[in-house]
Amino acid sequence: MDFLHNIIGILNEHGIAFLKATWITISITGVSLFFGTIIGIVFAGFKISSIKFLNRISDIYVGIIRGTPLIVQIMFLYYGIASIVTLDSFTAGALALGIHTGAYISEIFRGAVQSIDRGQMEAARSLGMSYSLSMRRIIFPQAFKRSIPPLANQFIISLKDSSLVAYISVIDLYNTALSVQGENYMPFETYFVVGLYYLVIVLIFTWFTNRLEKKMDVSKPKEVRIA
Amino acid sequence: MIEITNLSKSFGPLNVLKSIDLKIKEQEVVVLIGASGSGKSTLLRCLNFLEVAENGEISIDSEKVISQKTNLNKVREKVGMVFQHFNLFPHKTVLENIIEAPIFVRGENKEEAREKARILLKKVGLQDKAHFYPDQLSGGQKQRVAIARALAMEPKVMLFDEPTSALDPELVGEVLQVMKELAREGMTMVIVTHEMGFAREVADRVVMLADGNIIEEGHPEDIFTNPKHERTQRFLNQLL
Ligand SMILES: Nc1ncnc2c1ncn2[C@@H]1O[C@H](COP(=O)(O)OP(=O)(O)OP(=O)(O)O)[C@@H](O)[C@H]1O
Ligand SMILES: [Mg+2]
Repeated sequence: MDFLHNIIGILNEHGIAFLKATWITISITGVSLFFGTIIGIVFAGFKISSIKFLNRISDIYVGIIRGTPLIVQIMFLYYGIASIVTLDSFTAGALALGIHTGAYISEIFRGAVQSIDRGQMEAARSLGMSYSLSMRRIIFPQAFKRSIPPLANQFIISLKDSSLVAYISVIDLYNTALSVQGENYMPFETYFVVGLYYLVIVLIFTWFTNRLEKKMDVSKPKEVRIA
Repeated sequence: MIEITNLSKSFGPLNVLKSIDLKIKEQEVVVLIGASGSGKSTLLRCLNFLEVAENGEISIDSEKVISQKTNLNKVREKVGMVFQHFNLFPHKTVLENIIEAPIFVRGENKEEAREKARILLKKVGLQDKAHFYPDQLSGGQKQRVAIARALAMEPKVMLFDEPTSALDPELVGEVLQVMKELAREGMTMVIVTHEMGFAREVADRVVMLADGNIIEEGHPEDIFTNPKHERTQRFLNQLL
């Protein structure tokens, strides 16, 4: 009962702070996903392209991002950029997270494009469609649909990974938990509360993407006409 | 219509087509036969430039195709292709599959393209399936849509690569029926098939491929009843 009592206490006292922090967490994740998706599209394009040089660039980028810890990337960018221009910690954090997820998103898009049966491209080409027209009209729409589930998964990972920006003093959910438990000496209860916040955000997001996936299932008829 | 001279094609060290010479006249129906791996698909794919042969010449519609110079997309518009596994676009309805290339390649307007698609669907007996997705069709229906899709580009030649091999036996007939109809209308066709009854009935010429060469060709009756080459005999015996 003590546990429950403490949790209610924390919510009473810090509920507003946690809500504000929730907004920071969501917005820094949102901004980073926006940039990450653009970066992902560009680098997936590089990787699929027949130009060797662009393939290499994409490999190097993905290799570096995958091969180093996110926290190192955040610190590197924050202090690296700080020596050239002054960036506030939110912007630096969003940038680092965006560059990070961009690598994974590019792999998702590349995989989805390459998973489309090559007969699709051949059929399109055999009808006289150019390579770029075939990509745009035939391959990408199918690949996009196929990338929604792994993309949703990546978005969830990004949301949770965003907690690392606490270390460059962005006042996000995790950072708020850090300071609250430093104040009340109840780390167990405080982390429980912050965990709940993350969980609820993820559950709401999952609910939305499940609906989207159902909606996107175009193989079902919109309307079956009985002749 | 089609003239192939001294065509060769390799995949790495594997010399799939050695030296192919073949002339196909307008309105002619040619059936390609040969054992698995003999290069039948490769030959068809070269005709449509899905594979680029390293040597030899191909002219289509009395126009020499030089792959570096010619606009291959333009050539492909003249050559319709039907695949073993249909390759319909799963995210598009039957009607959308058919009007895609006429609209985006030939620049036809939507209404015109739709109207033509309806006529083609009627021709292949699927006028009531226009708004279905490929997943909702049987194999035989899919293949008939694929034929209609290729015809929508008004090709000069139709290539068929084992169009009935992926079908349940009871669905083979409906596809062959459509192909017979096309032949009767005078479409020039090159067909890879193991349906010997069909070949006998429809083909003007049967061409036997072995190890990347044409080893025998002639009228179907002659080839089937009196094959000259020992490998043709063996191949035909295996089919029976
Ligand atoms: N893209 C490719 N890369 C490498 N080898 C290939 C490729 N396409 C075909 N081959 C090889 O070329 C040979 C001829 O293939 P092809 O598909 O033309 O034969 P086929 O006569 O159509 O046989 P099947 O009756 O099995 O369809 C085979 O040995 C095949 O493995
Ligand atoms: Mg084949």
